[in-house]
Amino acid sequence: MNAPVLSVTSLVKKFGHFTAVDDVSFELMPGASLGIVGESGSGKTTTARILAGLEQPTSGTVTLDGRAVEGHSRRTRLWQARRLQMIFQDPYGSFDPRQTIAQSIAEPMRLHVPGSAKEHRARVGELLDQVGLSSRAGESLPRDLSGGQRQRAAIARALGIAPRVLVLDEAVAALDVSIQAQILTLLDELRGDTGISYVFVSHDLAVVRYITDTAIVMRHGRIVERGETEQILRSPQHPYTRLLLDSIPSPDWDLDRVAQDRRALDLP
Amino acid sequence: MLAKKTLARKEAPDGGAEDRRDALGVSRLSLAVGAGERAIPLLADVTVRVGRGETVGLVGESGSGKSLTARTALGMLPRGARATGSVTVSDVDVLSAGRKTLRDLRRTRASMIFQDPRASINPVRRIGDYLTEGLRARGVPARAAAERALDLLDQVGIRDPGSAVRRFPHEFSGGMLQRVVIAGALSTEPELLLADEPTTALDVTTQAEVIALLKNMQQVHGTGMLFVTHDLDLAAAICDRIYVMYAGRIVEESVSAALFTAPAHPYTRALLEASPSVHGDKVAIKAIKGRPRALAESPSGCSFRDRCPLAGDDCAASVPAHRPHGTSLVACLHPEQVTP
Repeated sequence: MNAPVLSVTSLVKKFGHFTAVDDVSFELMPGASLGIVGESGSGKTTTARILAGLEQPTSGTVTLDGRAVEGHSRRTRLWQARRLQMIFQDPYGSFDPRQTIAQSIAEPMRLHVPGSAKEHRARVGELLDQVGLSSRAGESLPRDLSGGQRQRAAIARALGIAPRVLVLDEAVAALDVSIQAQILTLLDELRGDTGISYVFVSHDLAVVRYITDTAIVMRHGRIVERGETEQILRSPQHPYTRLLLDSIPSPDWDLDRVAQDRRALDLP
Repeated sequence: MLAKKTLARKEAPDGGAEDRRDALGVSRLSLAVGAGERAIPLLADVTVRVGRGETVGLVGESGSGKSLTARTALGMLPRGARATGSVTVSDVDVLSAGRKTLRDLRRTRASMIFQDPRASINPVRRIGDYLTEGLRARGVPARAAAERALDLLDQVGIRDPGSAVRRFPHEFSGGMLQRVVIAGALSTEPELLLADEPTTALDVTTQAEVIALLKNMQQVHGTGMLFVTHDLDLAAAICDRIYVMYAGRIVEESVSAALFTAPAHPYTRALLEASPSVHGDKVAIKAIKGRPRALAESPSGCSFRDRCPLAGDDCAASVPAHRPHGTSLVACLHPEQVTP
């Protein structure tokens, strides 16, 4: 079990003359959870999209489950999707508005998991239960569910084909605090129960602290700091990580220190 | 006067004093749309006070009515809404004010900043036009208004104001444009600034800058600020007092320093326990069961009782009245079970 389930080597993505991702490498062990932290324009979402095969890297390799992902033929895409699924910030955009939630959850199973429609229906029932949705929610259309319920449904759909890795791109950013806590505890339980691995992309260090073991901090497409999440938060080494941490509001928030951090980075 | 205020401070976080010169006074405001059987209540019995130069937080989740409360201060009620209670902005009775009075109020005495600066700024007009518009309407000569615009841009940290006034909104990043909007909001030196999630769409480092700027400008001008946010940490970091809203009601009012250490309402405590933090030791978060509700769909009695771990039969009887507990004013029958 010592081989990483996902490893990324020297990943580069250019859009024209703009380099969005610049020499990014990391490894993810089975059952582990890795955070990718950064602000807008840091390249964190582009990295996540490359992992999921939604973008092709300019150079560098993604190795999933011991095999390098090459090209984007239909076969490769299927093979990749079977092992790695992605959850987005707004699940509303990724559900067919005319299909019930149960139908949407069953769809990837038809593609990836052998079995009869009846077996699939039973599995959908289990999945709904696992993410804390009622069977009535399963019969609803996406528009009838709240944001938190839709995110649960998206998680259920991704888990349906038992992938090895789940890539979550700002998956709880749009949720209310009380609902965000529900989804975070659910994700934590699922990882304990199934041994799935997470790549958790977020701008929110507090959330990353809760849900990940290790983390990388990205800025302008490059990794500026990596390590155990707790270690990074306790003693940040890079001035940018320090700026990120000091920028988080707290009762003894020191805006002068934030300004000092900015000067350390030569920002205005 | 001072002695009286000290005495009253024991009972309520804001000293219980109703000052005619408050920047904002919302008193027992209830709001509903529709009529008769089909009336949908939106706000119930909301009381909020913002003193001159004071920063007051209004915190809650979606549907709690926090934005709605802030908007009533400018007389921006939902279509067909009926309001009872009173809303005053520096001596102007907003609910009974006519269109001209309201326009005058919005133009000179109270400004509002929203989450998305691009939604509140005309995309086809130059930044300079945006900034001088309010000043010109007040009768400031064109030349003086133009100079004032440059001065304002400089104050909010826009580099090269001279070229900035000739540029269009799309040429600015979100953080920079929010600075422009803040400059515009403060150009008329209002007594009240309503900030509705002004930094929610910004990166965390940009947020820190914009907040620093907002606090600084507010201090310089002595503006009272009502800061609407879902972020308890942010509210606690910058506000003097905080109101916590749930399902169209104020459930707790507290000085912000005390809210974290001694929350008095079960909802406030549940919110704190549900928020992960980067500070201190890593502690498990506790989810709140159910979802946030709007007033129209909340249960009888205490609106939070169906999600509250402390709820008993007595909570269903009637809506709990606000009572002092510690440094808070709280609408709960059992605050001693939340923080002794």
